[in-house]
Amino acid sequence: MQKYIWLVPLLPLIGAAINGLLGRKLRFSERLIGGIAVGSVALSFLISVAAVYSYGFGGHAEWPKPYVTSQDGFSFNWIPGGMVSINQGIQEHMAVEVHKKAEEQLAAMTPEERAQRPAILIGVAETPRFALLNIEWSYQLDPLSSIFMLIVTGVGLCIFVFATGYMHGEAGFYRFFAYMGLFMFAMLVLVMGSNFLMMFVGWEGVGLCSYLLIGYYFDRQEAANASRKAFITNRVGDFGFALAIFGIIAAFGSAQYTEVFEQAKSFPIELLGHWGILSWIALGLFVGACGKSAQLPLHVWLPDAMAGPTPVSALIHAATMVTAGLYMVTRTNVIFQHSQTMLLVVALVGAATAIFAATIGITQNDIKKVLAYSTVSQLGFMFMACGVGAFVIAIFHVMTHAFFKALMFLGAGSVIHGMHHEQDMRRMGGLKKYMPYTYWTFFAGWLAICGIIPFSGFWSKDEILWNAASTTYIPLGWIVWLVGTIAATCTAFYMTRLMAMTFWGKERFLAGAGGEADEAHASAYDKGLAPHDAALPSAGDRPRHEPGEHVGPVHEDVAHHVVTHGHAHEDGGHGHGAHVPHESPPSMWVPLAVLAVLAVIGGFVGIGPAFRPVTGSEHPGGRLHIVNWLNPIIWNPLTREFNTAEGGHEAPATEAEHTELVAGEFVQAPYRDTGFNLAHSVNNATHNHLATEWIFIIISLIVAGTGILLGFLFYVWRPQLAGIWAQRLRPLYNASYNKYWVDELYGLTITRRTMDVARGVFAFDSKLVDGIVNGLAWLSRQLSRIVGGVDKYLVDGLVNTVAAFIMRLMSPLFRAAQTGFTQNYALVMVLGLMVAVVIFFARDIITAFGK
Amino acid sequence: MLNFFNPIVTLLLQEGLRARFDLMRYAAANPDLSKFLVIGALLFIIGVAGVLTRRNIIVIFMSIELILNAANLNFIAFSRYLHEMGSVNAAAGQIFTVFVIVVAAAEAAIGLGIVIALYRNKETIWVDEIDLLKW
Repeated sequence: MQKYIWLVPLLPLIGAAINGLLGRKLRFSERLIGGIAVGSVALSFLISVAAVYSYGFGGHAEWPKPYVTSQDGFSFNWIPGGMVSINQGIQEHMAVEVHKKAEEQLAAMTPEERAQRPAILIGVAETPRFALLNIEWSYQLDPLSSIFMLIVTGVGLCIFVFATGYMHGEAGFYRFFAYMGLFMFAMLVLVMGSNFLMMFVGWEGVGLCSYLLIGYYFDRQEAANASRKAFITNRVGDFGFALAIFGIIAAFGSAQYTEVFEQAKSFPIELLGHWGILSWIALGLFVGACGKSAQLPLHVWLPDAMAGPTPVSALIHAATMVTAGLYMVTRTNVIFQHSQTMLLVVALVGAATAIFAATIGITQNDIKKVLAYSTVSQLGFMFMACGVGAFVIAIFHVMTHAFFKALMFLGAGSVIHGMHHEQDMRRMGGLKKYMPYTYWTFFAGWLAICGIIPFSGFWSKDEILWNAASTTYIPLGWIVWLVGTIAATCTAFYMTRLMAMTFWGKERFLAGAGGEADEAHASAYDKGLAPHDAALPSAGDRPRHEPGEHVGPVHEDVAHHVVTHGHAHEDGGHGHGAHVPHESPPSMWVPLAVLAVLAVIGGFVGIGPAFRPVTGSEHPGGRLHIVNWLNPIIWNPLTREFNTAEGGHEAPATEAEHTELVAGEFVQAPYRDTGFNLAHSVNNATHNHLATEWIFIIISLIVAGTGILLGFLFYVWRPQLAGIWAQRLRPLYNASYNKYWVDELYGLTITRRTMDVARGVFAFDSKLVDGIVNGLAWLSRQLSRIVGGVDKYLVDGLVNTVAAFIMRLMSPLFRAAQTGFTQNYALVMVLGLMVAVVIFFARDIITAFGK
Repeated sequence: MLNFFNPIVTLLLQEGLRARFDLMRYAAANPDLSKFLVIGALLFIIGVAGVLTRRNIIVIFMSIELILNAANLNFIAFSRYLHEMGSVNAAAGQIFTVFVIVVAAAEAAIGLGIVIALYRNKETIWVDEIDLLKW
């Protein structure tokens, strides 16, 4: 089945092409468009499942060897690059050679000689290196890409089904699903490509689709701005990523993962503060990851991206695209683990982002904004995990986060749908009664993200915090742990707040209409205008509502509404605000239910090592356990090799194991001493490894509980407390509410300054450059006037005279030649032919007569 | 050039039937391109002469047919010759001949149509009374 994985990205592309190219022309029905889109993704999902099964568990399972399609028929030499000179990382290449030669010499010695620790002299010349760069278009199936394939197609399928319900009635239905299919294609190329350039293609592709989908309601200024912001912010990251790819090709002469990592794994490790080639490459890669995964300096686009339709937020800005940065960092973990500096940077940026976004999430009122900041915060957690060396756990969190965050976004979509495009949580409340399915699925997501014990979020988040506390990869692990713990408390708090404001408590939706809602219809109503789409009836892609028409779910009976809730219509006069919310159709809550089940049980593939008394092993379940499954793609700094398939090496070695290894095998500690280590200190106090792990688990459960209890206190039991504390902590509240003024800061320092530069350049262009050009034009105009006069009177006069003279003279002659009789012309032709023959055969004739 | 005309001279100067029969037998045994080319050239010359001298447009058409047939004859002759010489693609000449016949038929149809239109306008088909090409 692995052979057919090239179909996985192709099918959504075909679906997107059919929908996008023909959907409008042939006026496809919504059912047909939805069927094509959902069908293509469902087929992809089935193929992915079959391929992953046969790869990992089938009779001829190739796990954990990466399976590249080009080894099995499907290959396409995409960029025949030719000879490239490897002119970067020369020092490292030489170091690798020295190491190899030293080992050879040591092996040749007798044990006695070796025991004397002789000095070995090795000369290595700096030789020019070349490689044949051939970049192929082939897909790679390995533990990492298989997980992403399943997440992207599986969660994507749920979201596609949801979108058929959510987008019902939009005239741009075909366009939406064309973009979504295109996104699936790009995302799958990103995660399935077998080299960095394919990843880059997918990377840019998802960026484009993100841009298109954020700007889906392109006639709204806010959405258009948000889409541009996302695109431009991502350019910054892509710049770094592109540089890193150049660096990789310049240092390794190849872009194929397998080849690059094979070479990179024997490179020397660059300790803190040492900037070798791999650190620079890792920096570039991480800048790219920051852009795509919305990490601290470049996070500004993600909250604004919520201007897109909610399924887009769920698919692209929560479950899949924003985790591309994690995919990339984990994919290149060899490179990152070679650079302790960059590991520290990743961890600190991740921790900073986690706490930063979590504190913003506390004060936001827009339900989607809260979820957006929550996503940024969770992404920070994942980078934290990467930074402390627990790449597998990061991917585990990507997976659980994809489940519960997609669930929550879709739940929010369902709420928004049910509330008639109301997004402000201050106008919700008490929805539990009206939307039971949405409520209970959201409830599962809430428990998962808070980290309550059997739910999926607990397993991954707890492992991240444990790894942060016990890391031997970087110094300052305890700070990362502390920040992560506080961020986890904030997460539990703002999620409880979200639940309380949305589903529990007083019903506030009857109070008034409007609000600062984000969705298309509502915002136009806010301004007292016609619906956005009615303003330009000629534009083909808009929902065809008339001004004043009932804008709501089509399945709803308008007349019934007017009868039962007539009072709402009397003052509002339009279809918004004072509706009683309603449960969403099955096409929307069934995906919710599926995701809820995943959010509940999804964590069991990653039960932590602390549960070994219960489960019997550190990573129970064999290959089904995510750590065992992913381990072979993780490079081990101790052995300087990739982990073996069934090795079960715990990602960050604890100090005990570490010293054991160092003592036993004379392996030098890869990252030297990393200073104070929280977990080891606790371990030294308890002298029990298991107890230490349990202490951290209990701490993380306590903070989750604290967050939830605080949420209950502030928003359920004593709702007035929230306002009081907001007053008391006014500066902090303002900072959080205004998102720490980052947007304003960027606006002031970057956007405005860029505009100033642009204005300056424009002035230069319009004054100086244009002035020169215009002056020259004026000059040539004057000149041309002179030249024109000369031409008109002198030259033309001369020409006319001569021409007239010649015409008078010659015309009778030529006129006489034109008799008009056909035969005259024919005769001339024949004569001409004869002359031609004579000329052509002149030499033959002369010889013949000469003879 | 003289070599080219040699077969004609030979043919014209043959004396007696016997010699002529010998020649024919020889020709049957050894396909000789030159005779066909001579016939073709004669046809061509006759055609050209007809086109240039006759006043009746119908006859001019007939002369054109002669010219075309001269070309056809050459095609066939070369085709046969090349076939004898062992060329595998000798059928091309025959195909061209068929083409020429088809084109000639089409041309005749159009030409006669033009003639009829001309006659209706000018009441004549004598070309020396038609000098419309002047304008």
